[in-house]
Amino acid sequence: MCSIAADPDEFATALRVGHSGIGDRAGYHGQTSRAAADLTDFDFGTALADLSPPPDLHRAAVRLVGRAPLSLRASTVVALQAWRSAGLWEEPVVGERVGVIVAGHNLTAAHTDAVRPRYLDNPRYLPATYARHGLDTDHIGTISQLLGIHGEGFTVGAASASGNLALINGIRLIGLGVVDVCLVIGALTDLSDLERQGYYNLGAMAEQSGIGPFDTARAGFVPGQGAACLVLESTASAKRRGRAASARLIGYGTRLDGNAATDPDVTGEAAVMASALLDAGITADRIGYVNAHGTGSDLGDRTELAALERVWTGHSGRPLLNSTKGLTGHCLCAAGVVEAVAVIVQLRDGFAHGNAGLRTPMATGFRLPTTATMMDVEYALSNGFGFGGFNTSLVFHRTNG
Amino acid sequence: MSTLSEPSTELILAAVREAVVTVVPEVAPELVAPGRTLTELGCNSIDRAEIVTIAMERLRITVPIGDFAEVGDIASLVDVLHRHHP
Repeated sequence: MCSIAADPDEFATALRVGHSGIGDRAGYHGQTSRAAADLTDFDFGTALADLSPPPDLHRAAVRLVGRAPLSLRASTVVALQAWRSAGLWEEPVVGERVGVIVAGHNLTAAHTDAVRPRYLDNPRYLPATYARHGLDTDHIGTISQLLGIHGEGFTVGAASASGNLALINGIRLIGLGVVDVCLVIGALTDLSDLERQGYYNLGAMAEQSGIGPFDTARAGFVPGQGAACLVLESTASAKRRGRAASARLIGYGTRLDGNAATDPDVTGEAAVMASALLDAGITADRIGYVNAHGTGSDLGDRTELAALERVWTGHSGRPLLNSTKGLTGHCLCAAGVVEAVAVIVQLRDGFAHGNAGLRTPMATGFRLPTTATMMDVEYALSNGFGFGGFNTSLVFHRTNG
Repeated sequence: MSTLSEPSTELILAAVREAVVTVVPEVAPELVAPGRTLTELGCNSIDRAEIVTIAMERLRITVPIGDFAEVGDIASLVDVLHRHHP
């Protein structure tokens, strides 16, 4: 769920028509930038009811999550969407063989700001739930309780690469045989005022909306509110349950730059894409579509294009390239999972969405469509890079399921 | 201590009832009565702590956490809250 859709079907439609959730939002008092792709009309009670969960689960979710911070409400909705879509109520897997990984850290800053006035009034008025809601791991505790998950679980922190790295860890848990099924949730990053302003003061955040990633006039990212969940499953388990996969994750690369600063590194980015391809056992020319990290950062977009060019050197032809962030904003910790869903629906439905806000494209051999373009592609690549020197890349294979 | 400024037990029970209904929305308000315990109304330890916090905030009083150790039911909770006010 995000600023342009409440569920994956709506998301596929929104991507196809190029519906952007980015706007200049009122209410960011004292903030220099108001560009944001916030959720609109999200009501947890309604979203929950729309999923028609079993009555016990419905009651438990209202009780555990009804008054929880926004990020946890969003994680709960997408986890239930994914659980239902994977048929885990009809054909369950025993709890000890299910894991849950949440991509996200620093998820509680906005909640802390919201309860601070009560604390300042009188320290004893700080809600006792702060001990629970003040921790990122509340997502793991809550989702595992609601869905009876007894295998392993943890949060994954890699800044804007958290989503991809969480998927990588899910693949590893399944590959090791620790679990057969693993939920991977990209947690909605609800920025506090300080965090928002911090990004702006760094020069990383766009002052206003309207210019998209890979445009020569780009001037930073627009934050987006979004959450997504994928159910990863071993082939054997899916076969036992008689379920078809919507896609296969066939390779990944992950690497640190060894850099505490926020600048990206072309060598690290190119290396991680190359490792992902090697891991997947395919060459670059088999990739028909790349979902870029593409934040709209001046240096970031330039570095990624240069890294992509390095990986494709010596190959004729270049794949389609887009950045979902032009439509959804930068969902930060959740980005990698939101964009994984974008890759899956585009592979399935045979289109690459347009690059929003692209008027004067940067020079590149990669094809940057501005509107949805038909494609018949088997293999796709999805990049995620994060402050702190994180580089990640995933290879997806279309299934006909 | 003037009787005019001292919150009555009814007021305190009302604040506790409001707090319970906030934390456990499915509980019928009339069940929040002196004879019952929070546990039987479906509250776990975090719920009970949160109910106390919300009630104190509503009543504008402060009670040290240790004072709640002896509390067994709603009647004794109201009693502890009643004993403490600025």
